[in-house]
Order: sequence, then structure tokens, then C-alpha cells
Amino acid sequence: MAGVGYQGVTKRFGDVTALSEFSLEIADGEFVVLVGPSGSGKTTALRLVAGLEALSSGNVLIGGRVINRVAPKDRDIAMVFQDYALYPQMTVQQNLAFALKMRKSPRAEIEQRVLQAAATLGITELLRRKPRALSGGQRQRVALGRALVREPQVFLMDEPLSNLDAKLRVQTRSEIKRLQEQIGTTTIYVTHDQVEAMTMGDRVVVMRDGVLAQVGSPRELYEQPADMFVAGFIGSPAMSFTAVSATSNGSGRVTLSRGDLRLEAGAARELPAEVIMGVRPEHARVWDDGTRLIGPISGRVEYVEMLGRENLVGVAVTDESRLVIDADADFGPRPGDTIAVGIQPGRIYLFDPNTQKALGRI
Amino acid sequence: MNTASRAQVVLNYALLILFTFLAVYPIVGVFLASVYPPHSQPTSISPPSHFSFHNFVTAWTQGHFALYFRSSAIVAVSVVAGSTVLSILGGYALGTMRFRGSKVIFYTFILGLIIPTEATIVSLYYDIRALNLIDTWTALILVEVSGEVAFGVFWMRAAFMSAPRSLIEAARIDGASTWRLLWRIMVPFAWPAILTLMVLTFADSWNEFFLALVLTTSDQHLTAPAGLQVFSGKYTMNTPLVSAGAVIVAVPVIVVFVLLQRQFIRGVLTGAVKG
Repeated sequence: MAGVGYQGVTKRFGDVTALSEFSLEIADGEFVVLVGPSGSGKTTALRLVAGLEALSSGNVLIGGRVINRVAPKDRDIAMVFQDYALYPQMTVQQNLAFALKMRKSPRAEIEQRVLQAAATLGITELLRRKPRALSGGQRQRVALGRALVREPQVFLMDEPLSNLDAKLRVQTRSEIKRLQEQIGTTTIYVTHDQVEAMTMGDRVVVMRDGVLAQVGSPRELYEQPADMFVAGFIGSPAMSFTAVSATSNGSGRVTLSRGDLRLEAGAARELPAEVIMGVRPEHARVWDDGTRLIGPISGRVEYVEMLGRENLVGVAVTDESRLVIDADADFGPRPGDTIAVGIQPGRIYLFDPNTQKALGRI
Repeated sequence: MNTASRAQVVLNYALLILFTFLAVYPIVGVFLASVYPPHSQPTSISPPSHFSFHNFVTAWTQGHFALYFRSSAIVAVSVVAGSTVLSILGGYALGTMRFRGSKVIFYTFILGLIIPTEATIVSLYYDIRALNLIDTWTALILVEVSGEVAFGVFWMRAAFMSAPRSLIEAARIDGASTWRLLWRIMVPFAWPAILTLMVLTFADSWNEFFLALVLTTSDQHLTAPAGLQVFSGKYTMNTPLVSAGAVIVAVPVIVVFVLLQRQFIRGVLTGAVKG
């Protein structure tokens, strides 16, 4: 097994720069998730490790060795594709064995490794079937199995769960994670689903417009997003943003205001006069005297989304912005009602409106 | 669900029936004429008062059709084999690889589709004569293969282009060479299209008339349709006999088509319908 390194990697397709000066070190055995909206360069970054695209500049390394010009088959990697890319005319057994056959492994070894991979994934009884006779979930397992039998240095997974239904996706998500922990192979996993990224990755790389926006553990990204993009992308439902004026009151206190909205909180550092306030729904509550919340902020209810376990309430707090709050399931205001909202101390994220960079939390 | 108004359905069926009629009418006519008693003159499309199948036996023996069939079979099988392999190779390169000049090469093949044989037949004749190949099967095979490859490459390129990119990439990562990728992954994937190409090529080659007439001279090398021309020249007055000859010549193509009909339709629909 081996780590993977990107050193100042740039990839251009004609005039379009898909990946720009991308640098990242992935440790041996690590599970790293590349996440971002479409067009963010995450799949390009993955394909560069696979050797399916040639890089424009920079270096890609596997196990410390520069592999820019090494053919895909000689990189000792295995890839799981979004559409699984199973060979349609071959049985599951032949699909699993294909790479080993190409490598001219001894017949007995091929058989043993195929059986072992099939047993690990619970697809032994499917070995004689052809891909078209399999369900989506079964195909997905076979695709995983095909990667598994090769015992590669690195697993590359390109949105492998996106064709599964929601329930199967959640189930397979944890299975892949468990499998990876068990065999300990370095894994790069691409997804546009931030929930998948947060639940699976040892580290998550958030990408935007071909540039690395932030890399860190799921908790780091959630607690300390580097900028508004990461803050808005990580966390579901997404963070609400409101532009406010910040006035220092001296003695380490600051007042955030816009129209009727007025909040006072402790601020450890100097703030610019205008800031953007970000609040995650789970940190905003219905105002209740006696609780330790910052507020109250009064606003008009715009909508209520019932999720069963809780209600998400969209509350207009200024003319152009709303807060989404996570309310109890039995709290059911009507649209148009005016309610008061409070925010947990230390959970107001502040951003610079010009650079969109994070200014810390208050 | 596809819903069409009643008028549309009626119109669709009317058109289908019309075109089926146009296609079937001459075939039925020739077949019915072939079962009239020898030397009679069928004037309209109607069954004879009594069926006479003896015309087929007479035509087969007197028309040397065994000889022409041998010629046609040798030429058609060679042309199908040769042009299919070349079309697969050409289509694979043009459909899956990026290389300098690929567009020019592709359009050159398309040119082969556009220019009719009639336009080149004179220079072709002199070329073949210069090669000392007049009145040989080799001449027919070479010229026909070159003609079929134009369509074949176009067809196979489209078939290979319809293969998911990930399939090719998966095979490359799995360690398949370009050659293995073609024969182990792409050819099985494109099999319906290949079979369709083979049926079309076979029909085309079997029915080859013009080239055989120009490039061959002896009975021994005439293809079945060209032989039929010679035969009908001899028996102009005996319509049932000539019709029987025509039916005999048409049978192999019909048999091949009927046997491979299902695959043929699947090949024609490749890419048209989501799998």
C-alpha cells in the first residue's frame, strides 16, 4: 500500500482549466473524499491518479514515485466507476478475474482471490450471472469486487453510489467505509454529496472551480469552515447567511445589526464594519426566556418543512435574508406568523463580505 | 405511454401497408410467374391454374446456377470476412482513439460512400487489367472489399463510439492492451452491429452484378446475378423459367436474413433505444 501525492497539479482541457495548482498529500491507508459541485475538478483530480487523463503540469505520486507518464495498468490502482463499467458479455466471475488474467496470474490464485472477494462482498451466488441479470446494488458490489481482487495500492472511486436508491446508498456507504478500514487500502473517493463526504472520509477535500477550497477532518470543516463556500456546502440543511453591520461596544462585546435585527455577543477580535453572519439551522432555536441563547431575533415565518423528527422553519429576519431554524416536531407555526429566534452562543460564524473568508465564531 | 390519435394510427398503418405492398408486389409477381407452366406468358399477378415447380430444376441445371452460386459464395464469403475485419479495425481506431489526421481519414472513407462505382469503373477496369486480375475472383473480392469498407468503417465507428467510455477505461486500468481491448471487450460489445454489417455486406456482395459483368468474362467466374443476366438473355421468351432463375438467385440472401433477423434488428436499433 502507498500514499498518494499531488504536487502543484494543473489540468487544462483546451481553454478550460479543470484543476489548478492542486496540491495534496494523502497518507498510506487514508480514506480521502473529494467533494464539490459539478465542474469543481474533483473527478479530474481522480482521473489524473488513474492515468486516464494526462496532466498539464505538476506531479502525481504514488508511494513517493512520480507516475505522470506511467500507463494506467502499471500504476497498481483499481477504480470503481459511477456506471460500474462491468464487461457486459462476461459473467461476474469473469469480470472479477479479468484484471488478474491480463496480469497472467496463475489460474489457482485467480480462482482463490475471486472467491475470496466474492465472499467478502456476499456475491458468491452471483458468480455465474451476467451483469444484465443483476440489480443495481448487485452490480455495484461486483464493481467493488473487481477493484478488491486486484489488491491494489490505491482505490479510486468515482461517485460509486450515485446510481443507487437512497436506502441502498446509506447502507452501502457504511459497508464501503467498513471494508476500507478492514483492508486499509488508501482510498480516494469522489462525490458531490456532502453527507457521503462527511460520513466516509478520514479527511474531506472541498473543491471549487478547480481549486482546493479546504481540506480537513469532517469535524474541522463543519466547525471551522475556511470561507463562505465551504460553510454553505458542508452541513445539511445549509447554513443561512445574513449581511449585518458590526459595531464594537468595547470590553470585548460586539453588536450585529441590520434593520430590526440586533444581536449582542462577545467577540475576541477586531471585526470589519460590515460582516456576513452565518448560522446553521441546528444552532438556531425558537426563543425561550431562560435559555442561554443569543437574541431574540424576531422574524416572519416563510415556510415550515416537516421532517417527522423535527421541523425546519424558514424565518425572514431582514428584508433580504432568512434564517432556517431547527424546531421541535410539535412546533408548527403558520407562514406569516411572527416568531422569536435565538442562536447558541459561539455558533455565529462571521465572514468578510469582500474576501468571503472566515473571521471566526462568536 | 405513447398516445397517438386514431387518425394518426390509421395514417401510419396506411403508409406501412402501402410500402409493404410496394416492396412485396414484385417479389410475389416473380415467384408466381416462376410457377407457371414453361413457355406460358403470365400477364398479370395471379396464381397459375396449376403450379409447375419443374422450372426451378430446369433453370438450375440449364442455367449453370451451381457454378454461379459457387462463384457468388466464394466472393461473398471472402468479402464479408475481409471487409468485416478491416471495418472493425478501422472503426475501432476512428471511434476510440484520438490521433493526428483521424478526421481526414474518416472523411476519405465517407468519400468512398459518396462516389458511385459507375463513376470509377473505367479506371478500375484498367487498374485491374494492369494487375493481371481480369476474370478472377480476386479482382471482385478486392474491389468489393474496398467498397464495403467505406460503409463498414462508418458503421463500426458509430458502434464503437456508442460504447461507454468507462468500459474502455476500466479495461485499460485492468491491463488490457489495445488489441485485447478490441477483441475481448469491444467486439463482444458491438456484436449485434457487427452481425448486421455482415448481413448487409453479404447481401450486397451476393447481389453484385455490375462489377462482375465488367471484371469477369468466363462462366466460371460470373456471380449469380450476372449469371442470371446471361441466362435470361438465352431464354428471353420463357418468362417462367427466367423467373425461376431469379427466385433461385434471391434465396440465399433471404435465408441469411431470416436466420439472422433478430440480431439484425437489434443491430439496427443499437444506440437508438436505451438498453
